[in-house]
Amino acid sequence: MNSTATHSATDADRLEARFGLRIGALLNEQAQRTPHDVSERLRVAREQAVARARATRLAPASATAPADVVIGRGRSATLGRQPGWLFRFASVMPLIVLVAGLIAIDEWHDRQQIEAAADVDTALLADELPPDAYSDAGFVEFLKQNDPQ
Amino acid sequence: MATDKELTDFLKNVEKRAFKRTAYAVRDDDAALDIVQDSMIRLAEKYADRPPAELPLVFQRILSNATMDWFRRQKVRNAVMTNLSDFDGGNEDSDFDLLELLATVEGSLGAESAADTVGREQILLLIEKEIALLPGRQREAFLLRYWEELDVAETATVMGCSEGSVKTHCSRAVHALAKSLRAKGITP
Repeated sequence: MNSTATHSATDADRLEARFGLRIGALLNEQAQRTPHDVSERLRVAREQAVARARATRLAPASATAPADVVIGRGRSATLGRQPGWLFRFASVMPLIVLVAGLIAIDEWHDRQQIEAAADVDTALLADELPPDAYSDAGFVEFLKQNDPQ
Repeated sequence: MATDKELTDFLKNVEKRAFKRTAYAVRDDDAALDIVQDSMIRLAEKYADRPPAELPLVFQRILSNATMDWFRRQKVRNAVMTNLSDFDGGNEDSDFDLLELLATVEGSLGAESAADTVGREQILLLIEKEIALLPGRQREAFLLRYWEELDVAETATVMGCSEGSVKTHCSRAVHALAKSLRAKGITP
């Protein structure tokens, strides 16, 4: 009983497959009769696809090159055909000039202060009045009283 | 990696079937051509590095997805789902002798082809029409299995369903086709 049922199912599968493949063969035959304009559009589509595939295959080989080219172009647009180290040096040059200028100003200011102090010391030492007199409270009071203002 | 020639040969071999299969689904030749063209280009752009043996399955998958995308864009998804749910047809008639019908229809096709070229052409057109009338999933499973000659597992991969579903869709499509062809008089 089971054997008969299995046998029938197998027969049905086989018949279905034969029927399906027969229909498939007939559809193949019909597909070959597609109108000329459809065939032409399919041909153009195929050629475009193949061209696109060719471009895709070539793309990985040149994938790293564009980055260098882009950077190179950027540099050349800024500084002509100068090498990279000069470009970087030129970029930090304003900062170097600024720092050097600040150091020079500070140095000049210190020198001015030293020269002013030296002048005072020289005047004190060259005067007839001894420097110890300025530490005497009575002399300071004398100076205040004789101050014209 | 498929060469230009291998890709060309593959596309040349599959393009007309792809067009017809898509045209059955969308019922619009221009739309079918657009879908096939998009599928070809998608295959070329993303899968050109695959070995030639993988191209058929990948292409069928792309084509199926592109067709579904078209339906989504056309906002006829509801109509499609109606077709997809149309699995409870009249194929289970108790007085319907499948084996006999399949045998007679198959014999009829062979007899017609030998008898008359014009009659054969009419039969071919009729078959195309009946295939176009099949529910979407049944038609897709049937054409992938018996026209593209994919096996059950490959068809299931392309359709994104189980192998059991593929067998069910195919069986129902065969029954429906055989029955409708007999109803059209393609029987002895």
